[in-house]
Amino acid sequence: MVLNPGIRVELQRTPDDANQRHQLYVQWLNARVGNPSILQLDVIWTPEFAAAGWVLPLTPYGPASGEFFPATIEANTWAGKLYALPWFADVGLQYRRTDLVPREPNTLEEMVASARTAMARPGGPHYGIVFQGARYEGLITGFVEYLGAFGGRIIDEKGEVVVNKPEAVRALEFMRDELYGSRVAPLDVLTWHEEETRYAFQNGNAAFMRNWPYAVAAMSDSSQSKVAGRFAVSPMPKSATAPNGHSAAALGGAQLAINAYTESPDAAYKLIAYLTAPEQMLERAQAVGQYPTRSALYDDARLKSAIAIPLDAARRAVESATPRPVTPIYTELSEILQIELHRALVRQAEPKDALNSAAAKINALIDRTGMRKLMSATAHTE
Amino acid sequence: MTAPALRTRKSSLLGREARLGWTLVAPALSVIALIAIFPLGWTFWESLHLHELRMPWLGQPFVGLTNYVEIAKDPRFWAALGHTVFFTVVSISLELLIGLFLALAMNRVFRGRGFVRAAVLVPWAIPTVVAALLWRFIFESQGGIANALLVDAGILKQPLVWFIETATAWVPVILADVWKTTPFVALLLLAGLQNIDLSLYEAAAVDGANAWWQLRHITLPLLKPAILVTLIFRTLDGFRVFDLIYVLTGGGPGTSTEPVALYTFNALLQNLRFGYGSALSVVIFVITFGLALLYVKGLGVRLGGDES
Repeated sequence: MVLNPGIRVELQRTPDDANQRHQLYVQWLNARVGNPSILQLDVIWTPEFAAAGWVLPLTPYGPASGEFFPATIEANTWAGKLYALPWFADVGLQYRRTDLVPREPNTLEEMVASARTAMARPGGPHYGIVFQGARYEGLITGFVEYLGAFGGRIIDEKGEVVVNKPEAVRALEFMRDELYGSRVAPLDVLTWHEEETRYAFQNGNAAFMRNWPYAVAAMSDSSQSKVAGRFAVSPMPKSATAPNGHSAAALGGAQLAINAYTESPDAAYKLIAYLTAPEQMLERAQAVGQYPTRSALYDDARLKSAIAIPLDAARRAVESATPRPVTPIYTELSEILQIELHRALVRQAEPKDALNSAAAKINALIDRTGMRKLMSATAHTE
Repeated sequence: MTAPALRTRKSSLLGREARLGWTLVAPALSVIALIAIFPLGWTFWESLHLHELRMPWLGQPFVGLTNYVEIAKDPRFWAALGHTVFFTVVSISLELLIGLFLALAMNRVFRGRGFVRAAVLVPWAIPTVVAALLWRFIFESQGGIANALLVDAGILKQPLVWFIETATAWVPVILADVWKTTPFVALLLLAGLQNIDLSLYEAAAVDGANAWWQLRHITLPLLKPAILVTLIFRTLDGFRVFDLIYVLTGGGPGTSTEPVALYTFNALLQNLRFGYGSALSVVIFVITFGLALLYVKGLGVRLGGDES
């Protein structure tokens, strides 16, 4: 490294699939392996690794956490300490066909109405709205956005499970109504992941799509996309019926943390600081289109040419970023929710019953893992 | 030479022979101990502990049978067991029926028999994951091949989303298994058929017995050993079904097609709950071992070797 001549950086390949990478990390860390000294973490892993003592707190190094979007810092904070710095952000976006729906809808209800109008047009698309509804992590990210739109949460700031409160039930009922009531969403989405929704949208079969920023590049290429130049992105709107509702975009992306077993934590931090510096983030955006996590960069003209969507839309999306529950037991919590949400959406269970069942199981999980104590400890330090 | 001396020499000879026998099988036995008994013992030991790889703060305390109690109280486990039994019974019944039909057909003398016997094995030779992906592709999406065929034939009024209803999600799963495994069943049964003495049929024909009577009173009784061997193999396979369902439905919708092996995989390798997952593995082992014993003892299957 030019700035730190004493430090030599070696890249180590890990599996691209998040589950496989996670499993590999857990095996390494259980065996107390110190290499690699920097771990690239998915946003939902940080609390787990922090609680397990597998990554070092960054607080002693005095990172400038105020310069990053608050949600990206919140997601990397456990028990009052910062354990990872956000490297780049991924946010859930609402894609809209500008030729079918010229004006961005302000509310979820408007979105459904525009979707219906678009479908009714002669030669209009088959589908109004497509999203990721298969039983996997993607279902949770979509749910978090509807949940925010209705002012609900999965776990509140006191660590209480609130996923069966009326706001959450309304959010899930709204999703189900898109499938069986207004029928703007096809039942197929209950088996769809990101790519299936993208194919539907880029072949011109849908008016709206919920997806991540990666889809912009592929869909702007007119050799493979029928909608190049005819779509826009914005964060998911809030519901008109919910006073506490807000526009929410599920937060994803990569974080950098220091392996607790490394022999050179100081050098590791220097590298993290370098990789998360403004210049590096700009370069990443220019090279691979990944969104910076520093708010000031969204005023930088150089970012404008780097990312494919208007800077203002990108900023609004990242500002609406909402972390999924920040807890070490997230993976199991998510599995419970995935199953219960899917049961409600395929009509094996009523939304209210499914969410009650999810809440009961999450509470049992919290008790089984001794998380109650850990979570209330976190609540006090905040 | 006196009689007692002869006896001692004979018994010491026997002793030597027995020792030699043990020495010769010792390498094989130690390999079995190393790769079967030792891991099994370790899994059982692990199942008596609380051991969550993701939650080192819980430690690894000995918890006795707690994991087994949790299994017994878990409705998802019992549901998974039910799905496994359902899958096993339905798919094996179909495979036996169709396999028997195929075996009887292939047992006739006709031109190109060798080619047909080889060709019939093609589905069996395809890796399960690949086969499952193919079937998923056929049934996926409202514009998929299965929907197109069924709508064209007038069987369906409109395309189905197969994987979002429990009843329809089972269709591709069972079909894929039957398609893939029937050739194997047919081949095992064909081997059994070829062991039946043809003169029995000739004698029956002379006595005026028709084909149905011959099938019921000659073929099926004499095919019993082959059928039971097939049943053992297929039941044990059915009970451990994993890759097919993992790829086709992922256990969904909800968890309504999830078999025990997938549930165990989830606990052990997704959630990294080593204690609980080990307990689940032990339970699966006990069930399959029990089934094998039942077949061998209860139904009198001869697994090679003569009984004197």
